[in-house]
Amino acid sequence: MTPRRKHFDASLPELEPAERYAGQVLDARLHLLDRQVLDRDDVPVQVVDDLELSDVPFGETIPAGTPAPVIASILSGPVLSTRMFGGRPPSSRFHRVSWDRIAEIGIAVRLGVAGSTLDVTWVERWVRDRIISRIPGGRHDPE
Amino acid sequence: MHDDEGRSLGTVIDARFVLDGVPRGPLADARLVGFVVSPRTGSSFLGYERHDDERPAVLATFLRWRHRGSFLVHWEDVARLDEHRIVLRPGYRRISPTLLDPAG
Amino acid sequence: MKRVLGVALGVLTAIGGFLDIGDLVTNAVVGSRFGLSLAWVVLVGVVGICLFAQMSGRVAAVSGRATFEIIRERLGPKAGLANLSASFLINLLTLTAEIGGIALALQLASSVAPDLWIPVAAFAVWLVIWRVKFSIMENVTGLVGLCLIVFAVALFLLGPDWSKLAEQAFAPSVPGSESVGAYWYYAVALFGAAMTPYEVFFFSSGAVEEKWKKKDISQSRINVLVGFPLGGVLSVAIAACATIVLLPRGIEVSSLSQIVLPVAEAGGKLAVAFVIVGIVAATFGAALETTLSSGYTLAQFFGWSWGKFRKPAEAARFHIAMIICLLVGLGVLATGVDPILVTEYSVVFSAIALPLTYLPILIVANDKQYMGDARNGRVTNAFALVYLVIILVASIAAIPLMILTGAGA
Repeated sequence: MTPRRKHFDASLPELEPAERYAGQVLDARLHLLDRQVLDRDDVPVQVVDDLELSDVPFGETIPAGTPAPVIASILSGPVLSTRMFGGRPPSSRFHRVSWDRIAEIGIAVRLGVAGSTLDVTWVERWVRDRIISRIPGGRHDPE
Repeated sequence: MHDDEGRSLGTVIDARFVLDGVPRGPLADARLVGFVVSPRTGSSFLGYERHDDERPAVLATFLRWRHRGSFLVHWEDVARLDEHRIVLRPGYRRISPTLLDPAG
Repeated sequence: MKRVLGVALGVLTAIGGFLDIGDLVTNAVVGSRFGLSLAWVVLVGVVGICLFAQMSGRVAAVSGRATFEIIRERLGPKAGLANLSASFLINLLTLTAEIGGIALALQLASSVAPDLWIPVAAFAVWLVIWRVKFSIMENVTGLVGLCLIVFAVALFLLGPDWSKLAEQAFAPSVPGSESVGAYWYYAVALFGAAMTPYEVFFFSSGAVEEKWKKKDISQSRINVLVGFPLGGVLSVAIAACATIVLLPRGIEVSSLSQIVLPVAEAGGKLAVAFVIVGIVAATFGAALETTLSSGYTLAQFFGWSWGKFRKPAEAARFHIAMIICLLVGLGVLATGVDPILVTEYSVVFSAIALPLTYLPILIVANDKQYMGDARNGRVTNAFALVYLVIILVASIAAIPLMILTGAGA
């Protein structure tokens, strides 16, 4: 028997029944993380690499009645490796899309703004302007 | 995840939010409801945890079996958050993590 | 009338598009060594790819999400990245093999050395991806690829002992000259050749490219369920031709000219002309599909803008990634590696990587949020679970068999 298992035994109380909520429910890993983000014109912008919460009281006793944190922004950037291996990259290396720019969360996350206005698309714009647009035919529809 | 006496309860496998906060932009604020904890494994349910009628039944049964004993704890029952450890308040509540259809 | 034509076109391109260098080489090798005693694997593989392609196409049509977006979303970053690395490398290997295959086929037609054809072929692939519309690209290569029907014609012209072939196919046994390990190694290879993951990346992304909606699902189902099995029949015809002509003489296939030899014997120069056109179209089509698939997988994993329905400038990273992949493929071929050998390895690695792609698709094809009432029925799921087991077994057995048999030697 693994040590982890022995803590789970019949002495723990039965679970209370599942809850209903007044609004849309999002389980972060299930409904948000790793989902495609599309801009208002359906152009892919990024994948949800991580989430940033409003003031979380880390490393201190939380007084009873502290209001629950809310999602401040969705993040993209070098967070992928830290989600896999732990730790946190310096916050300046994130690209943030603030929560108030999200229009809808379904199978994909839809923004209410054009992707080109966000700093997360700078690599795309750089490759477009420096390389792809300069190759003949790069700005034309395929025929 | 630990209870108030320092006993390990399992691994946080997800964080549950509900869009019932103040409206901010097109959506309401996503308020943290609490954490989903699995006593057995930190791996994902692959989406099978939270509904009752999932297919293929064999896979759903297998993944639910791997995560048997999972529960939801409320933010209100969290006493302390550290980088790799969450401590709960005494008398915390354990709630079924199943997601119910909003209509039903 | 227009609808009937549409269905016919879809079925024909599915047949022509089914075969690639992997199917050509593996079936000929197997036929020349094992006769038709492995024909049952083609059947198993064809049913599998029908099931798999159909599920991924349906998911893409209903949800608008292509396969690798789903892999990332369901498996998470860790397993998703592992799958991306494996799939991307295998894809690159297959891409290299296909471009080499184009060059070898053009060499047969022109007697100009393949080294000279390789850059031409790679440039042509890039040009088509850069400038030609998706539907035209797919229809032209698929229809011209139908020239490979000449393998079936050749089989009849060779006038084989049908009852003997049928006996090999329907009461299979390991030929006395071969080991049991080699038999099962090639079973895995044939399975991998029929069920290459890139076909699914391409198929589901193609559904997004052509803007399939729910109403297009039934047509795509016909294309797959009729076209792929007929493509499988062609695969068996290739193996049968090798069985009749190469096996009795103890010729082991190691070059494209040996694959073509039975056709030459049966139908002379005209038949050879057809078969070369067919091989060029099939490998060219597959080179397009693998190049696009490498762009699709990267873009979908990282959330970049992608698709041939956009101007290249509107999917910049997608296009630069494909250019780099083609250059890497050219670099590999420049080392003088034998494309036939690359092919033989790529099909086995395909079989190894398959479960990581198959499982997320199966799960999401059952997900209510994605699929609503278009999710898998009970019959599909019953088949899908049987195949999950087969795919797992093939994947787990592949590496031990490879080591045990010295890659089927």
